[in-house]
Formats: sequence, structure tokens, C-alpha cells
Amino acid sequence: MSLARIAIKNVGRNRFRASLTVLGVMVAMVAFVLLRTILSAWTMGAEHAAQDRVATRHKVTFLMSLPKRYVQDISTADGVQAVTWCNWFGARLPDRDDVFFANIATDPESFLRVYDEIELPPAQREAWLQNRRGAIVGAQLARQMGWKAGDRVTLAGTIFPGDWEFTIEGVYSTKRRSIDQSTFWFHWDYLNDNADLPETMRDQVGWIVSKVDSAGRAAGIAKRIDGVFDSRDIQTLSMSERAMNTSFLGMLGALLQAVDVVSVVILVIMMLILGNTIAMSVRERTNEYGVLRAIGFRPPHIAGFVLGESAAIGLCGGVLGVLLARPMINQGVGRFMEENFTGLFPYFRLEDSDALLALGVAVVASALAGAIPAYNAGKLDVIDALRRVG
Amino acid sequence: MIPVSYNVRSLTVRRATTLATGLGIALVVFVLASSQMLARGIERTMGLSGSVDKVIVMRKGADAEMSSAIETRFVNLVLAGPGIKRGGDGQPLGVGEVQLVVALERADAPDDREAAQVSNVQLRGVPDNVMAVRPQVRITQGRPAKPGTDEVIIGRRIAGEFKGLALGQSFELKKNRRGQVVGIFEAGGSSFESEVWADIETVRSSFGREGIVSSITAQLEGATRFDAFKGAIESDKQLNVQVLRERDYFEKQSENTADLVRYLGIGIVFFFSIGAMIGAMITMYGAVSARQREIGTLRALGFSRTTILSSFLLEAILLATLGGAIGALASIGMGLVEVSMMNMQTWSEIVFSFEPSPPILIGAVVTGGVMGLVGGFLPALRAARTSPVDAMRA
Repeated sequence: MSLARIAIKNVGRNRFRASLTVLGVMVAMVAFVLLRTILSAWTMGAEHAAQDRVATRHKVTFLMSLPKRYVQDISTADGVQAVTWCNWFGARLPDRDDVFFANIATDPESFLRVYDEIELPPAQREAWLQNRRGAIVGAQLARQMGWKAGDRVTLAGTIFPGDWEFTIEGVYSTKRRSIDQSTFWFHWDYLNDNADLPETMRDQVGWIVSKVDSAGRAAGIAKRIDGVFDSRDIQTLSMSERAMNTSFLGMLGALLQAVDVVSVVILVIMMLILGNTIAMSVRERTNEYGVLRAIGFRPPHIAGFVLGESAAIGLCGGVLGVLLARPMINQGVGRFMEENFTGLFPYFRLEDSDALLALGVAVVASALAGAIPAYNAGKLDVIDALRRVG
Repeated sequence: MIPVSYNVRSLTVRRATTLATGLGIALVVFVLASSQMLARGIERTMGLSGSVDKVIVMRKGADAEMSSAIETRFVNLVLAGPGIKRGGDGQPLGVGEVQLVVALERADAPDDREAAQVSNVQLRGVPDNVMAVRPQVRITQGRPAKPGTDEVIIGRRIAGEFKGLALGQSFELKKNRRGQVVGIFEAGGSSFESEVWADIETVRSSFGREGIVSSITAQLEGATRFDAFKGAIESDKQLNVQVLRERDYFEKQSENTADLVRYLGIGIVFFFSIGAMIGAMITMYGAVSARQREIGTLRALGFSRTTILSSFLLEAILLATLGGAIGALASIGMGLVEVSMMNMQTWSEIVFSFEPSPPILIGAVVTGGVMGLVGGFLPALRAARTSPVDAMRA
């Protein structure tokens, strides 16, 4: 019988306790995997952002707008293929304080060119371009609100006071997840041509998005755009859409750090449970270890038995935990997060790398947890051990 | 009754096991208490910013000061409303302020990073009489800003956190125009301590907000005058504004962020506590099986099954409560930590601290005890079912 088999056989000595411990490790691993998925999904959102788009906004604050003529200036910049502009509209559905969705004014024609991952049936596309009061809504939002093409919607303005009437001309889906499916897009002209608009707010755009010819040049082009406006009244801040998303995530950094710390805490809890179990087993088997020592096994052998037993339990729990976490995240939690928090988590999936990491961590942490009992078992005095009972 | 000292001694005999299980529970309780303390810190920081006898007036439909705009000519009209307290000079105690966020680089960001490493800081343009309306604000270092200049004062909690936000330094308001930091203020732990205050005209001319205020804040003669004021102002269609109690407004501002922290904390703790309960269960099963003969003896001596059951349950609860107490004590230490986080309502950074409170700490320790109760129940049941004859023979 090989040494490894003895270690594994030992696991089955107290089946009940071993199963409980495996269960404990499994729960801990599910929690660990879930927390790691939050972390990687969070950064993944930024990775999926388009890198071949550069966003330009007011240098000092995103609350302030840019003059419309800046669009023209940017479109002539080297490397820029198409330019569109947007205004945060910030209107709400009247009498529906509970729903919130992004509603943004844009120039439809250039918008569809810059955001070429948007999929819209040709008839709806045509209808939207034609109707100045037309809007398109993301599939997700349409589902949530029960909207379909042809519906009339009135929004109550907050930044732009008044009631605004729209006809939904289309429902879009996307080819990639670099843009969410829960936004309400409408004609910038409809907003800008409104007679009640104060003159200071006319011909102003919230931010400008340019599609550049290659992702690799995005940073350089962003810098060049800012250079163009450096000597103007209003300076700009441009960055790739990806960098923009990362800077948003940066602000939630404290929360991410907390999740990171907490995922280590669960490992410590797991090690305490496991170490406790192993220590109990060692205590109960002191007598046996004495016998093993007496017939010639060396202290490292004894320590090896204990460590092997610990790692075996950890591996079992780890495998079960990952197997359980996988469907839980990919079918349950993940789907919910993707549908309801597309902006933050365009993808909420258990990555294979995270699953492997979890398995590795389970085995290493288990071996570590068994280290103290293993050391103690190894240095037992033969006579002492033989004499001790239970 | 089996004396409690029997349980205490049993716990001390198996010291290592007791410690491991107790520490596991302590960690769970620590995470629970810390997350609730942070949520409370967020709420309190925002709650402290507002008082019940002040009103805040914003444009109808605006859910934050930032998205609100009121024409300056309406400010005096609003301040002339019923129930507004007047100062010694006979002027109403109220201010129209402009609020914005500015993007600043964090102080710890290396110089060569991409421009993406910026965070939003709230900038408030305040008129001269702001200190009369917000008496909780005190300059602790430096001096007040001179009216009509580009001098600014900054809140205690953001001092040194961002580039340029320190006494004697300056930051960019717009090109070739810098705000000079001349003073640092404290404001009783409220969210104002995470703001930059500048002269209202400076803010207006730097950011093209001429003729506009974001909000009007005014002191009422008493908290009960609120309804009269609200009724009078909101019924004026020309104004097109909404009136809120200042306290209610600030509390609403913190709702989302506080809830996120609170529920994330509870969700995580739920998982963790399952683990800790399994740990307690293993320990208690171990204790029961190691003490088979003792239990048998007790039964033979005439102790009833119920007595044995409650004795072991008590031991489990004792163990868990001990762990819980350690965890709760450790979490008080988090009170020294300050975290800078984005408030999701205003998209700007606010510095929060962990605020311990007796209900949170007691709640956390009790949760620990409950984990012991649940985890210890099955083992205690097994102990109670021990047959005296079998046990003593074993």
C-alpha cells in the first residue's frame, strides 16, 4: 500500500466528519469563486469596452458641455473616421419614480456609424432617421417596459424642463457587449431646436465620441484632440472608451479592495475548519502514529500522511465547490447580473482561469491548514504516543 | 441543571479546537459588523449634513443639486417665503449655491499615469453669508477665503487626498485660473468635509453658470414651519421648484451607496456563516464523541435528556458568542479607518468612516451566538440520545 493511499484511506476513517469538512470547504469555495467572479467581471466590463473609440468631454467636469462646433474640429483630426455627439438628457417617466433608464440625445446618422455594433432592422433604422421625434430603445429596456416599435412615450425633463413626446421607432440589439441594451436614444435636433431652450444651452453637446482607424492609436489621437483645444476657451479631456470605463471603476476601487480582502477572509475561515478537523483526527490517532513510528516510519512519513489527508479533503471540497459554483454563477446569478446591471457587468461568467485558481488555492490552503497538526504528529515521541489513549 | 462551569472547563480542555472554531466565527462576525458599520457611516455622514429645520429648494424633477438649476432672480423670492428665519441684520438666513464636480487627480497617483486616473470632487460656490446658514462649519487651519477672490477652503477629509488640495497649494478651475487653498474646515463629520468651497462668483464665471444657482438652502424659524413654506413656494407655478427638508434630501443621497454596502455585506456573511456553522458542528460532534463516557455517567446519575441537550447547546452558544465577541471587538478597530468611496448618487468621492454603534455590535455578537445554536443543535441532540449503558460500556 503506497503512502498516498494510506493518507487518502485515512480520510474515510470518520466518514461523517470528513463529509462535514468537505461540505465546509465546498461552501467556502463557492463563496470564494463568487467573490473572484465579481472582481474579474468588474474589470472585464472595461476590457470589453471598444478600444477604437475615443470619448471627449469638458476637461474640468463631466457636468459641463462643449460647443457643438468642436465636433467639426474633431472630425478633421488625423485618424478619426467618424464622429458623433451626445447629450445626457436625464428625463424620467412621469409618475414612475421607481424606474430609471439612461436617455441620451444624439445625432442618429453618425451615431449608427460610430456605434456600428448596434443592430437595428433596416425598416426601423430608416423610420428613426426620418422621424425627428423618434427614438430607439435597447432590447433589454423594451422588455422591461413592455415597449415596442410604434409606441408613444412622454418623458418629463429634469435638466431640460417640460414634457417631451417621443415615438419609439425601433428596438436595438448589439453585436458586441461594448454598449448596453438599456438606453433610450433620440434625435439631438429635437432637443436643440426646442423653442424654450435657454440660449446658453443651445448648440451645446455633452460629449463627443470619435471612431478612430486603429485601437492602437487611440491614446495618441486622444492626446492630439486635447491639443487642438488647449488654447481655446474650454479645454477637453479625451480618452479611449476603455480608459473612460476604467476611470469609472477606479472610483469604486475601495469597494473592490474590500471584496478582495473578504475573499481572503473566507479562505482563512476555511483553513480554520479544516485545520480543526485534521487536528482532531491526529489527536485520535496518536496511538497509531506511535505504532507506525515503532515499526520504522520516519517523522516525515507521519507528517506526510497528515498533509496528504488534509490536501485530499481540500481537493474534494474544491472540486465540489467549483462544480456547484459554475451553474450557480453561469445560469443563476450571472444571468441576473448581466440583465440588470449590463453597464457594470456586461459579462458575469465564471472564467476557467478563476475556476482553476480556486482549485489550486483550495489544495494549497488545505495543505497549509494541515501543516501545524502534521508537524506536531511528526515530532511525537514514540513511547509517549504509544502510551497515550484516544 | 449541569453547572455552566462544566462547559467552560470542557472548552478550555480542548483549547486548540475551541480557538479554531471561535476564530472562524469571529471572522464572520467581524465582516458582518464592519459592513454594517460602513453602511451606517455613509448614512451618518450624509445625515449629519442636513438638519430638520432647514429646507433645500431645487428645480422640480431634479434629484440632486447637480442636476438642478434655478435662476438667480428667484433666490430672493424664495427666501421671502413664510417661516424663513432672519439674522441679526434682518436679512433672511438662506443661501443660493452653485454645485459642480471637478475632476482632480488623486494625490497618490504617479505623475506619469494616463489622464484616466482622476476622481470627481464636489465644488460648492458659496455666497458670503454661508457660515451664518451653516454654523457647524469651522475653519481649523488657515483662514477664511476672501470674498470675490479665487481663494477656496477645503473640507478636512479631502485635504491631502488630491493633487493641489492642501493648504497653500492650488488646483485648476479653468485654464490659467487656479483656485488657491487658504483654509481647511471641519463640519461635524458631515459630507461637507469632502467638498471644496469657493466664492460663488468665482465658480459662476469659471464654469459659465452666470445667473444660475443649483439650490437654495434656508433656515426655518422652526421645524414645524416646513409645511407652510413648502405649500407657499411649491404652489407658485412661476418658480417651478420643489422643497425638501435638508435632512431628507441628504439621506436620500446616501441611500443607494449605503444599501449596496449593507446588502453586499449581508450576502457575503450569509455564505460565510454557513461555513462557520459547519465548523461549529464539527467541533461539537468531536466534543460529544470524545465525552461519550461522561455523558453516559451523567445520564446514569439521573440527569435527563433535556438537561444534557441544553448543556451541550449552551456550550456551543458559549463558544460561538465568545468568538462573536472577539470579532465585534476587532471590528471596533475599523473605526479608525477612513475609506474614500464614490457616492453613486452624486458621482463624486466622499470620505466615509466605519461607525460602530451598540445595536450593530450587539446584533453581530447575537448572530455569532445563533450560529453556535444552529451548528450545535444536531451534536447536542446526539449527546442527549446517548444510551447510558452503551456509553459506559464503550
